[in-house]
Amino acid sequence: MKNVMGVIYTGEKDSFLRELTLLRAIAAVPVAGRYRVIDFIVSGMVNSGMRNVGVIMQKNYHSLMDHLGSGKEWDLHGKNDGLYILPPFLTRDNVGVYSGSLDALHSNMNYLKRSRQEYVLIANSLILFNPNYQDMFARYMESGCDVMMMYTKNPDMQRPEYGCYLDVDENGVVTDIEIDPTKPRYENTGMDVLIMRKDLLIDLVDRGASHGYHELVRDVLQRMTRDAALTVHGYEYKDVCFRMDSVQSYFKFNLAMLDSKTRHELFKDDRPVYTKVRDEMPARYMDEAKIVNSMVADGCIINGTVEHSVLFRGVKIAKGASVKNCIIMQDCVIEEGVHLENCILDKQARIKRNGNLIGPSAYPIVISKNMTI
Amino acid sequence: MMNKKQCVAMLLAGGQGSRLGILTADMAKPAVPYGGKYRIIDFPLSNCTNSAIDVVGVLTQYQPLELNAYIGSGSPWDLDLAHGGVYVLPPYQKGKSGEWYSGTANAIYQNLKFIEQFDPEYVLILSGDHIYKMDYNAMLKFHIEKGADCTIAVREVPWEEASRFGIMNTGEGSVIEEFEEKPANPKSNKASMGVYIFTWEKLRKYLTEDAANPNSSNDFGKNIIPTMLNEGQRMYAYDFEGYWKDVGTIESLWEANMDLLEMPMPIDLYDKKWRIYSRNPGKAPHFVAEGGSARNSLLTEGCEVYGRVEHSILFAGVTVKEGAVVEDSVIMPGAVIERGAVVRRAIIAEGAVIGAGSMIGEETGNIAVVGQQANLPAGSVVKAGEQRAE
Repeated sequence: MKNVMGVIYTGEKDSFLRELTLLRAIAAVPVAGRYRVIDFIVSGMVNSGMRNVGVIMQKNYHSLMDHLGSGKEWDLHGKNDGLYILPPFLTRDNVGVYSGSLDALHSNMNYLKRSRQEYVLIANSLILFNPNYQDMFARYMESGCDVMMMYTKNPDMQRPEYGCYLDVDENGVVTDIEIDPTKPRYENTGMDVLIMRKDLLIDLVDRGASHGYHELVRDVLQRMTRDAALTVHGYEYKDVCFRMDSVQSYFKFNLAMLDSKTRHELFKDDRPVYTKVRDEMPARYMDEAKIVNSMVADGCIINGTVEHSVLFRGVKIAKGASVKNCIIMQDCVIEEGVHLENCILDKQARIKRNGNLIGPSAYPIVISKNMTI
Repeated sequence: MMNKKQCVAMLLAGGQGSRLGILTADMAKPAVPYGGKYRIIDFPLSNCTNSAIDVVGVLTQYQPLELNAYIGSGSPWDLDLAHGGVYVLPPYQKGKSGEWYSGTANAIYQNLKFIEQFDPEYVLILSGDHIYKMDYNAMLKFHIEKGADCTIAVREVPWEEASRFGIMNTGEGSVIEEFEEKPANPKSNKASMGVYIFTWEKLRKYLTEDAANPNSSNDFGKNIIPTMLNEGQRMYAYDFEGYWKDVGTIESLWEANMDLLEMPMPIDLYDKKWRIYSRNPGKAPHFVAEGGSARNSLLTEGCEVYGRVEHSILFAGVTVKEGAVVEDSVIMPGAVIERGAVVRRAIIAEGAVIGAGSMIGEETGNIAVVGQQANLPAGSVVKAGEQRAE
């Protein structure tokens, strides 16, 4: 797949993740104990053999840039290709704020044009999965279609008034695209992954922008599909996938990692997920540690009780403290006698001695970064 | 000509480490896993990085494949540099000659040209045999201040063990007066750590003379250092006081691992200012299931624990299945402990599979070892002190 470049759009609306996206883009939200959402997307591209990946940034992109660095962790620090960070910039006809994916692509036309690849794979950062795109690309080449869109039949991916839904006929042809319907009429949920020829994309973006359009799928592909001006095919993704579109879905995804079957489906030996390495010591369990059904990252020091929880790197759980159904991010400190249930603690939060925080399981308490309670 | 460097490090990584038995059957000793996510060589390499020494030649000879793959481009230690970095140096053909490294000094002698590319003033000689955190730069400063020709790092060892080491007898101002290899009646308890700094000009001279001497065994401890002492060169002992552990035997490797389970740790690996770097296997955080437990232990990425883990160290990707028990043991990367197996006071090497219901090691006695990729059938028994290769 060296002939396919990847473009990741990270400018989605993120207000529904509340405190978690206050200071960072969704792509930079910490997940599964040691990763950020974008690690899955970039690793999937790299594991599929793609060598040129551009990440379009929109706002709050400091932590994303810090995380991606030179792209070394993903082996994307090559001389010709590699990782390209594409922050917004101001010019006479670009005000730096993208109203949608088409705007963003239009602003980064030069990157598209100067890249050597003939094909483009576009993805965004709202869906978490660990794909191998080789099969999809092979199918795209075989089919001779103009655009191939990835979808899933997983019912958990459907949302009222939100998402992109495809009507796909028995030949795999997409005959209709619905966007944000109150009640989705099609069982095929779009995964915001598209493959097409680069020259076609450049043409579509140019034409779309000249008509004042903002969204590639809604304003351009939907119309052209309906008018049969383009042949769009669907590609069904059959492995596990998750949507990161609310605090609840974030909470659910992390706790789903405690199910060995789901975890093994997402983390496969032949598709490692790369991330920025912290060189922490292994996690330490002390004399009083009790641990049940939990995922724990390196650098943690545990001397309390941990049940059905995900602990990120460097978390400390003191003696006599207990956490249950919690997602606890990097470097949080849980002092003696604290009891936490159904909480999400953002990075570096500290819960002082004997604190008690119990949220309802359907609506977990979110503690912001650096808070002390 | 490359950029000039003040000091170049040469790491002797060619030894077999035969006292580690089947653990070094397929890999050189510096590649042996230690401490849950490290290999022995991570310590000298990280020490170099943290000491701002950015040219490291790694001399390999015995079973180098695993070590070479591990070192790779050197990026985990920030040693993938445009000017300098880590270089793996196996023996090579030179015109009509071409020979193995016949000793530690010969290994350096055969790479004189490598060192000269950097036109250094000093050369630091290291080995891949010990677990320690050391600022080589502070030692270099000492060497320069003393105007020394050779500085040897020494550490005090218990008197009763002194006769197992190379002992330095020092006089006023840390001058080395005498060197005794494994003396029966030691006069000092300052043991050589195998960490030397030489002024390059002097070292080049002595290496060249040594190479021309057919009776020499081309070894630093046996030949170079005694000769330099005899000829009155300025030799100093540099005192090191931190944790320093030889991991040359099964028992000492096991003990050095168990040291990490002490709190406070005798060697602080949490120190953010002196990180020990390692190559990351890129696995998910570890998982302890319902019915599993972990106490007084170190667990790392990719481990899955469905059984009971007590006072042990589990490396990346280890699986402990339902009903299995792991106690006082070191389980190296990717090993699988099947259902109901009991592992006590043992080292299980990389990728080994311990069949269901097996009994490995005993509560007392010597450490049991199961070799790399061994596949023990269900119900196997490996006694204390036994080594089982397959």
